[in-house]
Amino acid sequence: MSADAILTLDSVFAGYGKMTILNGTTASIRRAAITTVIGPNGAGKSTMFKTVFGLLPVRSGSIAFDGKTVTNFTPRQMLDAGAIYIPQGRNVFPELSVRHNLELGGVALPLQDVLPQRIDAIMERFPMLREKANAQASTLSGGQQKLLEVARGLLLDPKLILIDEPSIGLSPLMVQEVFTILKDLRDKGVTILLIEQNAKQALQMSDYGLVLEQGQTRIENAASAILADPRIAQLFLGGGLPQTAGAA
Amino acid sequence: MASFFQLLVSGLATGAIYALIAVGFTLVWQTSQTINFAQGEFVMLPAFFILAAMNAGAPFWLACLIGIVLSVVILGLLFKFIIVDPMLKYGVLPLVISTIALSLFLKEGAKDFYSSQAQPFPSLVPATDFHVFGIVVSLQSLVVLAAATATVVALHVLLTKTRLGRSMQATAQNPTLARILGIDVNRMVLYTFLINGALVAIASILISPIYLAKFTNGETLGIAAFLAAIIGGFNQVRGAILGGVILGVLDNLSAAYISAQYRGAFPLIILIVVILFRPQGLLGRIEERTV
Ligand SMILES: Nc1ncnc2c1ncn2[C@@H]1O[C@H](COP(=O)(O)OP(=O)(O)OP(=O)(O)O)[C@@H](O)[C@H]1O
Ligand SMILES: [Mg+2]
Repeated sequence: MSADAILTLDSVFAGYGKMTILNGTTASIRRAAITTVIGPNGAGKSTMFKTVFGLLPVRSGSIAFDGKTVTNFTPRQMLDAGAIYIPQGRNVFPELSVRHNLELGGVALPLQDVLPQRIDAIMERFPMLREKANAQASTLSGGQQKLLEVARGLLLDPKLILIDEPSIGLSPLMVQEVFTILKDLRDKGVTILLIEQNAKQALQMSDYGLVLEQGQTRIENAASAILADPRIAQLFLGGGLPQTAGAA
Repeated sequence: MASFFQLLVSGLATGAIYALIAVGFTLVWQTSQTINFAQGEFVMLPAFFILAAMNAGAPFWLACLIGIVLSVVILGLLFKFIIVDPMLKYGVLPLVISTIALSLFLKEGAKDFYSSQAQPFPSLVPATDFHVFGIVVSLQSLVVLAAATATVVALHVLLTKTRLGRSMQATAQNPTLARILGIDVNRMVLYTFLINGALVAIASILISPIYLAKFTNGETLGIAAFLAAIIGGFNQVRGAILGGVILGVLDNLSAAYISAQYRGAFPLIILIVVILFRPQGLLGRIEERTV
């Protein structure tokens, strides 16, 4: 376990009902870096995020974040600890205005007085949000909605962003924009944990990569090393890794 | 035969009451997946709380206040903690069955503990008619319409103009996302139950002078709320309002102009037409949840 890890999972078991999806997942996520989680469909990538964020119970094992144990924290406790989670798909309230969607992102702020300022600052940073402040969130394009989701999370000034397949359904231009924002945040010291289907593109802009298969970490390494790893091709061709590969 | 305008006003008045009941029904459904088959009985019961308070010597206004408070506590708070929370753990179906059982219990309870006879219920205003531009309107219909509208407007303001209300809407529209943002979902759900308790009590005060207080009142009212919610779009507060008003107006007009005998059939015809051509309801949106 490296000293500069902000998030660690230690033999985490979790799943849905009787189904176990995370089979002793162990991982160590570096601070102020972008780490992309890749793996075949159904590997448990989204399940890992939901478990970390407290939407699914940890059955055994432990999770630590920023120096404290956060196993089975509620989402609210995770927010208070400095993590935010942006799930896959559309995560806005379609009938509320852009401004009111943003405002709900501030519910977990310890000091509510700062919310108007923060909203103002975030609109400064994303002028599109100011332009559309009074429009229903449903009128935004997919990419604009994703920006809204990211901006809403940034109101809390998070240390860690868990973001699940942000590029899905977005135009290539918009994907670039979202990735640029994430890199910018990383440069400011924010840790980004990302899931992406387009593994190659995502790893190219990441610092680290984590390969998850059948609920276990198969590879944890620098993104460049993973890109150069011949086993990755095998994995994504559906071959699966031999058990001896083990977790890094 | 009453004039068209008179029928329209009384239809709007009935519809506004249906809307109150349907809005509460929809809110509770949205935030907690509770399809409350006892909603009609929830409207029947507060009238008996009020009559009991008056029998104990309270003046009408105080009795109404007591009725609303009891309704919020019993039909809101206790309903959630004693029935909904424990049953929902086992799934939606056991909860549905529990609310059906509760409806029977409340109905029989009102009959056994109070009376099987229809009880006269005081009206907010004397039964006088009003003459506007030569048209006769009953004062009672107007007051009912005004009171129900004021209630719906107040609720609308709460839900859309306050942050608390928007947190409630968020919880209703997407509870998982609400939790992810740190909204206290349990508290928001509780609030909708309390609001429903108040709405059914207000509906009870408005409708009982017309229907009289009777233990069977819940049967028709429950169905009306259910139909209004489906017609308007099950997942929409606005839809429930629209559905309630349409139902009330058409009910009154069709009974007068087409046939009073088949009165009960018209709402069902509307329902079938809506389901055929707009299965998500008039204002409903197709559920799109990703988390
Ligand atoms: N809500 C749920 N209830 C039951 N099973 C689920 C649920 N969500 C996911 N699963 C199952 O858990 C397994 C892992 O799902 P998960 O969403 O974590 O995979 P993933 O790695 O994110 O895959 P994808 O690349 O398709 O997003 C899958 O077999 C899936 O069918
Ligand atoms: Mg996934």
